[in-house]
Amino acid sequence: MSTARNRRSQLTIAAVAGILGILVIGQLRGQAAVPGLSVLSAQELTLVIANLNTRNEQLRTEIASLDQQAKALESATANGQTTVGQLRADLARIRAWSGATGLTGPGISISIRGPIGGDGVEDLLNELRNAGAEAIAVGDVRVVPGTVVAGIPGAISVENTALPDLFEIRAIGSPEILLGTLTRAGGVIAQIGATYPDARISVTPLTTVSIPPTTRILISSHGQPRL
Amino acid sequence: MRTWIRSVPSWQITLAVALLALGFLIAAQLGAEGPRVRYTTQERSPLVETALGLQDQQEALKRQILELRTKIGTLEAQGPGSASSLRDLYAELEQARNGAGLIGLAGPGLVFRLEDSGQPGAGADSLVSARDLRVLVQELWLAGAEAIAINGERITVSTAVLDIGGSVLVNSAYLAPPYKIAAIGPADLYKRVQASVSFQDFVIERVERHGLALSVDDLDEVDVPAFAGTVVIRFGQPDASVAPGS
Repeated sequence: MSTARNRRSQLTIAAVAGILGILVIGQLRGQAAVPGLSVLSAQELTLVIANLNTRNEQLRTEIASLDQQAKALESATANGQTTVGQLRADLARIRAWSGATGLTGPGISISIRGPIGGDGVEDLLNELRNAGAEAIAVGDVRVVPGTVVAGIPGAISVENTALPDLFEIRAIGSPEILLGTLTRAGGVIAQIGATYPDARISVTPLTTVSIPPTTRILISSHGQPRL
Repeated sequence: MRTWIRSVPSWQITLAVALLALGFLIAAQLGAEGPRVRYTTQERSPLVETALGLQDQQEALKRQILELRTKIGTLEAQGPGSASSLRDLYAELEQARNGAGLIGLAGPGLVFRLEDSGQPGAGADSLVSARDLRVLVQELWLAGAEAIAINGERITVSTAVLDIGGSVLVNSAYLAPPYKIAAIGPADLYKRVQASVSFQDFVIERVERHGLALSVDDLDEVDVPAFAGTVVIRFGQPDASVAPGS
């Protein structure tokens, strides 16, 4: 009788321990599967979802374009034809996007006067990219990977060229979106204003903005294409 | 009564006390949370699932883009044209894609690993922010890096690095810590970064003062993947001028 009771008690404790173990493992695995997401609020998650939706739509558009390109190439190869026109169009698009070619189009001009640090200007450039700017120039320097505006207020430079007290940033893109993103309440210009109160920043939408090509060598000399 | 208590096995009493304590703790926890927090918690679960689903989709779409670009490159290389002008055009395209970050690279460089402070009770300043990542990327560019990726997201001309809660969006992709910043550059890239006063300031302010964990691997070969995103020009018209060496 006593042996049966002992066995029953052991079984009960084993069952409780088993259930607790499963719950703990489930919790740990759940957290491992969503690193970071688990700490976001509902509002932040909504923002993440909106961004993911937008990016996925852009990626689908890119896939459709690439698919069309691949099919045209396949068809041309099968027919023994060349697709010079398409190749040239593709080349022009990639060069313009990367900064190898100058661009002209609608956009904005940002005028900055007074003491501002390189970090403040970099924040502006980051926000312009976020707002969909297709090409950006600081003064006459096209902003591409590797271009950094650095220095303390009153002594900032880009590509080893000192920027004067009054300088201009130009960007091509939707003037309304670029202007709205930069100047919204609590936006990047408001934040820069809090850090650099003596800097004066004004934004003007323009119908035509010209951005020069970069003078940088865009091809890596140390990296080899990965096959 | 006393007899009845004596007849109850001790393990049952222990289990009953433990379950009572557990129930009390759960009730106390639920009672301490306000209605708004409970509502938010209920809402979060489907949102997290949606975000995870979209992230999975994004990974699949990125793979598809890279596969299509590879296919296009192969088709171009197999093109019927043997004329030197066409071969030149293919070579120019390959060079343009390389310069744009549309081709993955391997070469000497380093990988920074940046993580939130693990100190208990640390505040918001002890979390890695988008600005921290931008500062490290800028330091790498200034030191001569030629290609950079954060957690596999290639830094291109269109890349924005943004804060979202305690985490970061790069190329509109959601990234979670630890953040690995891979850079290809000259063999002495890390020495150059270390010599930078602004990098030293970053280490003092963010690592020593706020406890961020920063480590570096100086490597003979670092992989920086290709950009798997959109290459679209909607507003601008390309000029005829082309930069030298591109």
